Amino acid sequence: MGAMEIDSQKSFERKQCTYNLLDETFEIQNETYKGQQYSQIYFARLHMMRTLLYSLVPNWKPHLPVCTVLGLEKGKECIIVGTLYKHMKLKPSILDEYSKERSVSPLVKPHNFMNSDDHLVLEDESGRVKLGGCVLSPSIYVTGIVVALHGKETDAGDFSVLDILEADLPPQIEKSLTSREDKYVVLLSGLNVGSSTSNPLLFQLLVDHITGHLGDEKEQGVAAKIVHVVIAGNSIEIPRGLLNGQNLASKDQSRLSEPIKELDILLTQIAAGLPLDIMPGPNDPANFALPQQPLNRCLFPGSSVYNTFRSCTNPHCFELDNIRFLGTSGQNIDDLEKYSEAKDKLDFMERTLKWRHMAPTTPNTLGCYPFTDRDPFLIESCPHVYFVGNQDQYDSRLLSGSEGQEVRLIRIPKFSETGIAVVFA
Amino acid sequence: MKAGTSKKRAPPPQQPPAANPPKYHAISQEDEFLDEDVFLDETLVSEDQDALILRDLEERQALATRLSKWLRPPLSDSFVSQSRSVVFQQLEIDYVIGESHRELLPNSSGAAAIIRIFGVTMEGHSVCCHVHGFEPYFYASCPPGMGPDDISHFHKILEDRMREVNRNSKVPKFLRRIEMVQKRSIMYYQQQDSHPFLKVVVALPTMVASCRGILERGIQIDGLGMKGFMTYESNVLFALRFMIDCNIVGGNWIEISAGKYKKTTKNLSYCQLEFDCIYSDLISHTPDGEFSKMAPFRILSFDIECAGRKGHFPEPNHDPVIQVANLVTLQGENQPFIRNVMTLKSCSPIVGVDVISFDSERDVLLAWRDFIREVDPDIIIGYNICKFDMPYLIERAQTLGIAEFPILGRIRNSRVRVKDTTFSSRQYGTRESKEVTIEGRVQFDLLQVMQRNYKLSSYSLNSVSAHFLSEQKEDVHHSIISDLQNGNAETRRRLAVYCLKDAYLPQRLLDKLMFIYNYVEMARVTGVPISFLLSRGQSIKVLSQLLRKAKQKNLVIPYTKQAGSEQGTYEGATVLEARAGFYEKPIATLDFASLYPSIMMAYNLCYCTLVTPEDLRKLNLPPEYLNRTPSGETFVKPDLQKGILPEILEELLAARKRAKADLKEAKDPLVRAVLDGRQLALKISANSVYGFTGATVGQLPCLEISSSVTSYGRQMIEHTKKLVEDKFTTLGGYEHSAEVIYGDTDSVMVQFGVPTVEAAMNLGREAAEYISGTFIKPIKLEFEKVYFPYLLISKKRYAGLYWTNPDKFDKMDTKGIETVRRDNCLLVKNLVNECLHKILIDRDIPGAVQYVKNTISDLLKNRMDLSLLVITKGLTKTGDDYEVKAAHVELAERMRKRDAATAPNVGDRVPYVIVKAARGAKAYERSEDPIYVLENNIPIDPQYYLENQISKPLLRIFEPILKNASKELLHGSHTMSVTISTPSTGGIVKFAKKQLTCIGCKALLSNTDRTLCSHCRGREAELYCKTVTNVAELEMLFGRLWTQCQECQGSLHQDVLCTSRDCPIFYRRKKAQKDMAEAKLQLDRWNF
Repeated sequence: MGAMEIDSQKSFERKQCTYNLLDETFEIQNETYKGQQYSQIYFARLHMMRTLLYSLVPNWKPHLPVCTVLGLEKGKECIIVGTLYKHMKLKPSILDEYSKERSVSPLVKPHNFMNSDDHLVLEDESGRVKLGGCVLSPSIYVTGIVVALHGKETDAGDFSVLDILEADLPPQIEKSLTSREDKYVVLLSGLNVGSSTSNPLLFQLLVDHITGHLGDEKEQGVAAKIVHVVIAGNSIEIPRGLLNGQNLASKDQSRLSEPIKELDILLTQIAAGLPLDIMPGPNDPANFALPQQPLNRCLFPGSSVYNTFRSCTNPHCFELDNIRFLGTSGQNIDDLEKYSEAKDKLDFMERTLKWRHMAPTTPNTLGCYPFTDRDPFLIESCPHVYFVGNQDQYDSRLLSGSEGQEVRLIRIPKFSETGIAVVFA
Repeated sequence: MKAGTSKKRAPPPQQPPAANPPKYHAISQEDEFLDEDVFLDETLVSEDQDALILRDLEERQALATRLSKWLRPPLSDSFVSQSRSVVFQQLEIDYVIGESHRELLPNSSGAAAIIRIFGVTMEGHSVCCHVHGFEPYFYASCPPGMGPDDISHFHKILEDRMREVNRNSKVPKFLRRIEMVQKRSIMYYQQQDSHPFLKVVVALPTMVASCRGILERGIQIDGLGMKGFMTYESNVLFALRFMIDCNIVGGNWIEISAGKYKKTTKNLSYCQLEFDCIYSDLISHTPDGEFSKMAPFRILSFDIECAGRKGHFPEPNHDPVIQVANLVTLQGENQPFIRNVMTLKSCSPIVGVDVISFDSERDVLLAWRDFIREVDPDIIIGYNICKFDMPYLIERAQTLGIAEFPILGRIRNSRVRVKDTTFSSRQYGTRESKEVTIEGRVQFDLLQVMQRNYKLSSYSLNSVSAHFLSEQKEDVHHSIISDLQNGNAETRRRLAVYCLKDAYLPQRLLDKLMFIYNYVEMARVTGVPISFLLSRGQSIKVLSQLLRKAKQKNLVIPYTKQAGSEQGTYEGATVLEARAGFYEKPIATLDFASLYPSIMMAYNLCYCTLVTPEDLRKLNLPPEYLNRTPSGETFVKPDLQKGILPEILEELLAARKRAKADLKEAKDPLVRAVLDGRQLALKISANSVYGFTGATVGQLPCLEISSSVTSYGRQMIEHTKKLVEDKFTTLGGYEHSAEVIYGDTDSVMVQFGVPTVEAAMNLGREAAEYISGTFIKPIKLEFEKVYFPYLLISKKRYAGLYWTNPDKFDKMDTKGIETVRRDNCLLVKNLVNECLHKILIDRDIPGAVQYVKNTISDLLKNRMDLSLLVITKGLTKTGDDYEVKAAHVELAERMRKRDAATAPNVGDRVPYVIVKAARGAKAYERSEDPIYVLENNIPIDPQYYLENQISKPLLRIFEPILKNASKELLHGSHTMSVTISTPSTGGIVKFAKKQLTCIGCKALLSNTDRTLCSHCRGREAELYCKTVTNVAELEMLFGRLWTQCQECQGSLHQDVLCTSRDCPIFYRRKKAQKDMAEAKLQLDRWNF
């Protein structure tokens, strides 16, 4: 199968483009759990970000001294750099689940854990200080962000914040704007093959569309310009109730493997025609902690034979014709939504870029591997396309940075619920 | 921030010439109420040593300037010129022996007892008031035939006898004077108003006891022969005597008008205001209105850290004190105004805290002493400071030879002493402790307070703060402390942060539980000094009230020799037979409000209304004036003689009513706190009066009273039961016949048979009113609550939902069901709670049964989380000292053999689980360290948990509900499937060869395959899903657990150190870490 074999008068040549995979930072090779803790990742993050922020401070407020939390003096204006920690009353605590006796009132699971009492604390290696003042709104920020703050210590021992400096968009590599013909990238997420909401027909139609089996010549012409497909998470839904450690009855075995086979067949069709990247998502048979490691090839006995099939990490970063893509399957933004608020969900994405951290809530509320020497989620180079998968609806915006950076923010909806795939030029 | 470290100490100070070791004075040992408030000269430092200390001080100039910020506010001019009266709240009263004051008391000379009152003024100035002229005395019976003329002769004889007994004493005169006074003994009803008594005034308080001894043994008096004397009020502590006679109650305000006091010529104390006055010039204010307030006391909360050696609990003669954290709070403020930590060796700075580092331990200790002196705290609090921190500091200073260290009190140059005491009380049991007396400062050890006031499963600071502040405390094991200390400035900072937290928790507990208010109010109500409340039992509080009342009534209280503890017992409270069962109709509870006090008031039960059988015959009292109690004693009615116990009780209850009314009115939270503390104190005091009369080892036991009280109590419960069951019947026109299902000491549970809570409440109220009418006032039956549903297991064991209004239940109330017993594992607690919840709230008995079955099945199939199975016991002695072999002791021994450094020591809590072992092994041989179990996959013994842990409490709950509960729950089909994990060490495993097995079917793999056997190849996807889901779940758990610990620790950039075994997270965290590593390995096998 493939574009070349289409049974039509005119055959379209599938466009090609150079592909450059940039996922090494997200791969966990020989790292194991040897008793390391999460302090190191915070330390690495603070260290990297501080170096960066310190370099920005002279342009921001050159007249002010830079202090550590410890060096604060009452009433003296200064700049401090540190990791934010948000104190939240409603934040669910595993300790409470274990130790509290069952309360009489049923446990309500709020969608959002914000509370008007939330407050922020800034921490560096030397200590913590409670932040006050009206400039800094606790509802925007979350635990784990590194920022520089201008302010002074009040008599009560709080740090009254007067101004905030975020790292802002990272530098962007020059987009080679050599004139060239249109090429399309298809971004997909939330296929949820095997779930009740997924419609196999819809997916088959999509596959046919991508591979150029559908539509008239014009449409086939468009299809031919698709150079790459990315599936951003949640491709399969497996009945998790079955996986409780017990041996499975053969009936259940097939219930488990059926969706996987189905997906494999469809992916094989795509992979036969054009390059395909598949990222794991929160519901996929992959690990839980970010960065999620590639889905195992053994799940895709059919498609993995093609060299166009690529099982990637989540987050996933790659370049197509020197255009840099960066994206996740959505966990980072979903988690931000639980612990902070914004008018528009794209704002969350914009914020993560400005904070230069894809998932600041790791490891606090979002699981991640306890790295010892680095923080892979720092965004060192600004992508041209920044996408998140498994969103409730499609949305997009072009974000322009102060140094001429231009980023296309894309929220990819769940295919199984909306039937939408994003085609990006 | 490191002023202390850079400064080199000039030549090492000379060792003070062998300072006299503090001597512990010994007075006659016959009295348990020793007057230990005397301070003798030996403890005072001599003058030249004083100079040395001064020189030492100069060297510490840098520290001194730092300390000077924290001084008390300076005195205003009117104080300096002594032109205004001094009003202060006193906290501590003791006395010293000194020369009597020449100016104030021109007529007397020689040694005399000088009362010292320490306190704080409203402005925050510390006060030390020396009160002169108050003399110790007691009463003795006057033998018949002895007249006023015989006194001088008697005086001489007694004086001679005293000199014989106290031959070494240099006191010129033992007896000041003997007077004949008209008094009456409190014991038994007497018709005459008064008799002559001898009031013996002695020179020094210590002489009271020896003089009493002489009189009791009897002396030869010319003309009267050998006479033994009964003594009265001869066991009253001098300070208490003073307080009673001057109407001073603990923690009240005292005023001395301008001109009535004289500034001391040479200041003996570190207090800002120090003066002398005459006792009769003191104005004691009753704690009402303006004088109910609290002065701004300075409360110091501190904690020390010691660097112990591996495998040993820190000992003062080996292990140095490395850090002392201090927090000082003004009473009434919610934040400490001083936070500092003194460290040995450098320490990185901490936000909001003064870090003061020193190069030598000596400097740390001395800096702390200076800190105490400058900050001048009124109250010193901490956790276990009395038994550990304080004695440790003092003994450590002794080991280091720092003679000038223990000057921590308010008296210049007076060393603090440590002595061992045993405190024994019927209510609190016997506790050994060390007593450190710090003159002028009240020590308030939160551990002691907790042990006194609350019944908890564990009294570790961690579990106490988890209980009251709902916070887990980070717990750093003492074996890590030395490592942290030996690290760098950063690790020491880490330790300092921990130390500060430990110092802050007691303060927070103090605030949260309002201890200052409650204790000061208790002192005010009962009239004893605050320090008595912690160091002495209940009886002194009642005695103090009794003495005060007796003084008003011109009564004297006899001194009774300590009788043996088994002098006699009497029948206790009654408990009606419990009709066990699960009641699904509302059960109304009728309570007697303060039953025992009411009985004493209603029937005028008192020492002075009791008529002895002998007197009954002699006195020929008209029977209408008498009450015969059900236990057969006779008391007169109030028309003839009003008892003073009833009077005290009436006053207490009236005061409580007033306090409660005021509490409703009050707005100011501080005033409310005072009033609430007061009403609580009044309630407790009223209830302890009965206990006082029944305490056979007490001050003035009178079993006639206490047995009468309980007999009336029994009668009333029976009476209530009868009335309820007679009146509320279908014959009487009610819908259903009422049934009394259970009755406890002061309450009766009635099933009226009505289906709704509201109807039960109405009937309950009706019954309470009806029955109250049949009792003598003030005995009153109150309707308080309805239980619905109600699970009655046996007497003193029940559970139910508690309703006080008909629309919504208030809570689930349980009694006697061990959900919190400390030697139960968490599984039991969870299981019992969940079952009760299901039965009572969800009303889902099948659900509860199913839950139990599932849990048992999980347990047997080895799917139970290990942390739920951990049992913890405190290691109080070493193995040899235990007579019976105990699981935790055996384990501690075994762990010591494995690794002495991390093995638990005496004082630690030892967590263990019971593991499978050879058949017939004793339970104590099967205990194992949970971490060792985790690491080596040792199978636990589900049978043990089933039989020894969960079966009893479960059957207790289910027996009233289910038929064949035991068979159904513990032996059903769900107990058939059993899974046991394979251990990775020991036993047969040593001989096993490791070989990869197929993940799918566990078949051995040939060398070519790595993951699956050829057979399972087709199931790749499915099996992979399984493995990876497992990893995903563990990752989630790992992330949540470890971030929770970070949260608890309050820092993101520091490693979590906590090893608190009381925390439910600890084992899960460990287990998640280990499981994670294993699951990762499994997963890696797929990457071929």
